[in-house]
Amino acid sequence: MNPETPLPPHLGARYRPGMETETAPPRLRDRLRALFWPPRPRVLAGGYAALVAAMGLWGIAFQARLSSRLPSTLDWQAAASLLEREARPGDAVALSPMWAERAREVLPASIPVMALPRYAREIEDLVGVRRVWLLSLPDAPGKSGVIESDLAARASSRDEPQRLGELQVARYDLRSPTLPLAWLPDRLAGARVDLGGQPCVAGPTGAFRCPGPPWMRVAREVREIDFLPRPCLYAHPGPDPRASLSMEFPAVPMGRVLRGHTGIIGDAALDGRAPVRLVVEVDGEFLANVDEPPRKPGWHLFHLDTSRYAGRTRNLTFRVSTADAARRWFCFEAMTLP
Amino acid sequence: MKPPPAIRRLEALLPASPRHRLALGLSLAVLVLAAATAPAVGVSRDEGVYFVAAESYGRFWAEAVRSPSRTLALADQRFAVNHEHPALAKQLYAATHAVLNGGLGLSHAQGYRFGAFLLAALLTFVLSLFGHDLAGRPGALLAPALFWLVPRHFYHAHPAALDMPVTALWLATVFAYRKSLLGRGDGRAYLRWSLATGALFGAAVAVKHNGWFLPPLLLAHWLATHSAAVRRGALAERLRAVPLAFPCMALLGPLVLLLAWPWLWHHPLERLREYFAFHLGHENYPWMYLGTLLRRPPFPVLYPYVVTALTVPAASLAAMAGGIAHSLRRLWLAVRGTGDASISDEVLLLVNALFPMALIAWPTVPHFGGVKHWLPAMPFLALLGARALATAGRRLWPARPALVTGALAALALVPAAWSVAHVHPFGTAAYNEIAGGAPGAASLGMQRQFWGDDMVAVLGAINVHAAPGAHVWYQEASVAATWAYQRDGRLRGDLVRVEGPEEADISVWQYHQEFRDKEFSTWTQFRTARPVAGTYLDEVPLVQVYARPGAWR
Repeated sequence: MNPETPLPPHLGARYRPGMETETAPPRLRDRLRALFWPPRPRVLAGGYAALVAAMGLWGIAFQARLSSRLPSTLDWQAAASLLEREARPGDAVALSPMWAERAREVLPASIPVMALPRYAREIEDLVGVRRVWLLSLPDAPGKSGVIESDLAARASSRDEPQRLGELQVARYDLRSPTLPLAWLPDRLAGARVDLGGQPCVAGPTGAFRCPGPPWMRVAREVREIDFLPRPCLYAHPGPDPRASLSMEFPAVPMGRVLRGHTGIIGDAALDGRAPVRLVVEVDGEFLANVDEPPRKPGWHLFHLDTSRYAGRTRNLTFRVSTADAARRWFCFEAMTLP
Repeated sequence: MKPPPAIRRLEALLPASPRHRLALGLSLAVLVLAAATAPAVGVSRDEGVYFVAAESYGRFWAEAVRSPSRTLALADQRFAVNHEHPALAKQLYAATHAVLNGGLGLSHAQGYRFGAFLLAALLTFVLSLFGHDLAGRPGALLAPALFWLVPRHFYHAHPAALDMPVTALWLATVFAYRKSLLGRGDGRAYLRWSLATGALFGAAVAVKHNGWFLPPLLLAHWLATHSAAVRRGALAERLRAVPLAFPCMALLGPLVLLLAWPWLWHHPLERLREYFAFHLGHENYPWMYLGTLLRRPPFPVLYPYVVTALTVPAASLAAMAGGIAHSLRRLWLAVRGTGDASISDEVLLLVNALFPMALIAWPTVPHFGGVKHWLPAMPFLALLGARALATAGRRLWPARPALVTGALAALALVPAAWSVAHVHPFGTAAYNEIAGGAPGAASLGMQRQFWGDDMVAVLGAINVHAAPGAHVWYQEASVAATWAYQRDGRLRGDLVRVEGPEEADISVWQYHQEFRDKEFSTWTQFRTARPVAGTYLDEVPLVQVYARPGAWR
């Protein structure tokens, strides 16, 4: 460049030719980038070592703390003593997390223990339960607060939780407990049961044995429906869809609602080609059909209006039938509610 | 001073090279540890069947020696038991049982299992040598440690089953194959290692069907890394380029299988067809995975990766994952011509570390059994992790690499060893820190246990409290398993096995989500939901015992 040539004004007064080769001091971002990119073996090794060391320290801390995050035998005994002393009829224990089923071995036999994933009103009736004692392992790995939230949402009051070592006990008084006028599985002993008009005979355990193969019976059982324990009436439909399995419950006190659930036991719920039909009659008069669909596992709710019978006693009849009886391990429960 | 003659005689038996001595020492340590910790491990469903099979196979050899003319007829009779799996491992169990139970008076279970301990020791030996080849002395020490200090791997060292043996033989076959490739310039070594590859492959397929995947996998490796050798030249030249290990596998594999499996001595083709058909159409056992009971395909592709990530101790997992990344980088640099790594080695390690998991990830392959079905991947992950830890030590402090590697190894292996000790003997129920241990895994809805061996923990209570002659339903524990306990005096002989809660006085419920109805039926039958005894891992129920009134005293 000719030194006589005037320089462009945007270069400023302090500009001298050749200055563009001088570099500005690198910014921090550039320096960091230069440090890590392209990745040099030593940097990679450092990152790897840091990861392994961090995981190792975490692992040591996890193993060292695990036992102290879980209840001891003494904690369980304390919880058992508390419930022995405080529990009364209409109480039940809920577990959080639901797998903490040592409770059933340790707690007094007089108080039912529930191990359910949810307790929301629209999911669980909690039949006959007025107060729930929530027994939780507050520091256990994997603990969530869903069960506490469900119970808190349907409780009128909650006692201050008591900490018993690594167990916590809190009492929830349910705002509107489900207290049936009659819960029909409990009334099976007084029922009349037949299969297509042929009587089923009551055995010493209270179960009714019907004509046909061994699974043709009606019994009050606790069965697995959608992985959860459900006290229900086992009633396998007969092979002939015209010959329904009939259960007549005499003199049932009626309320405004007949409410219940139907389901198919175990993995049989994944099979089937036709629904199982539960026909409900009051004093021989048709009230409703309830269909348990095939290949749809679950504890399916039905809710029938019986207000015109409220305050009276009536004969309630349930008839079970299906067009496809293979492995239809049908179970249902029903209750009359005020 | 000269050592005493007995020591000198012993020394003469030891291998000359320090690395072989180290590998041998580690193998013996694993053998002794497995033998010492085995009595606490229960008899699983499969293992009980293998005991019965081993006994039958052992009887065959005894009878065949006495009356050789009846050998073929006897083979059909004695090897009909458990003929859905080949017989080599079970014959080894029969042999160790004959020596240790018949000869030395050890328990029947320990006698059979000693064969499994020997194969666990073989795995350790090869893993240490392989580790030494890849990363020197740190590799020789760390590869076995990273492998065994995983609770589920440690568990699988004990049962006289097939998963750890086939893992050992898979690793040994790959090790021999690699040696054969490295020894191509040395005629005798080349021949020796090629023959060893064929024989070890034969032994692998004579243990379990996983072995059949080895030849295609190794062929894929060789074609990927030596493709130039078969792309150019005359046909004869190209054929000469194919490693001898492949014809050896083709010849010796079926030969060893045939020799080691007398069931095939009659109607071999028909029975082989039946064998393959059984495994190609294997039933799907229900299996819990992240809150879902897997029953039918398609199964989740991520299953083996998630289960591995939730069961290998976190620091070991990080070391292994870093090992894969390290190997990929070495491969990348070698392909670009800027690194000194062997492309062949890196590809060999990576395909063996990744293929067994990818196979189980296939959505129609049955998903059950935890890590045991991709166990052959794990020694390779341990090798990669060991080499990465050794390399990190060298990179970070070149003057004192052992110090850095040692510190890292301690940080990785202390929590791993802790978890092994904590979980033992409930290896099938083990979960790592990422899962939150057994409690976290129960909340996540993972499979709680399998194989029915955790019942061993309530045997003592049953022996003390069960009423005389009580009828007991053992649920997941098989007939063969309860018979094995009774034969070894671990379960009272007067107790009568029944097959359901309806007939039982005592019900031994082992938590399986898919069988939960059996537990609830027990409540109905016994009119109580209150167990009389139980076994819990970090408060998570594994086994709960129910009894009718009067049956538990």
